[in-house]
Amino acid sequence: MSKDEHREGIGGMINPRRYGIERVAYLLMRLSGLGLLAYFIGHIYETSNILRGQVGWNEFMEMISTTEGHIIMSIVIAMCVFHTVNGVRVMLGHGGVGVGKPTRPDYPYDPASQNYRHKIGIYSAMVLAAVAMMYGLAVMFGE
Amino acid sequence: MRESTIMKIHYGTALAAVALVAVHILMRLTMGYAESLEYENVLANYKFVPYAIMLELILVLLAVHGFNGLRVILLELKQGRLYEKAVSYGCLVAMIGLIAYGSRTIIMTNMGMA
Repeated sequence: MSKDEHREGIGGMINPRRYGIERVAYLLMRLSGLGLLAYFIGHIYETSNILRGQVGWNEFMEMISTTEGHIIMSIVIAMCVFHTVNGVRVMLGHGGVGVGKPTRPDYPYDPASQNYRHKIGIYSAMVLAAVAMMYGLAVMFGE
Repeated sequence: MRESTIMKIHYGTALAAVALVAVHILMRLTMGYAESLEYENVLANYKFVPYAIMLELILVLLAVHGFNGLRVILLELKQGRLYEKAVSYGCLVAMIGLIAYGSRTIIMTNMGMA
């Protein structure tokens, strides 16, 4: 690791091009978390329109039931599935599941925790997110 | 509160929310997606007390999980006594505000004030 690498700050921390798929998962976990929190706040506001009565609710539904609205919703579905599946992987890892047995650190010092089991977990989260997104699009545009 | 306890709450709220949100989404698929979002159907959902209780639980679980997640992200970016206190209390206030606003919708609709 060079000295310059330490000076990169947040940019260096979130750079997905280094340290393998685990860093990509770390970045996607945070981005999906922030995206879902933003959606959750919007959803709470959106559903409060029911208090405006039938006319107010229908007006709001008309405003969000657009192609753009459906695309945003499908991205939310993908974020939700990725965050859930990867979150379960992280929880299992924190609980010591699938991280391997502690051994003497020998060259080339491959971390036992960054093994194929967790890599499969990350790729599975991505694939399931894509499948859920396609299903969501089919449901929303199929009507 | 100890960070280890907060993380246990974070994971607990996540697991509980996954189960309840799954039920919430499946309710949208019991009929056509667009039909399930019609005023009468949404109103009927809110007026069904067990479902309203479930919505309230989802609201609390996701608000706690979401704002604690935001707090963790912000604390990873920067540290400092004042900054950490501001982030923690800021997230707590935002969480309480969101729960209060969401609860208002659930309670008022359930009581027929919509």
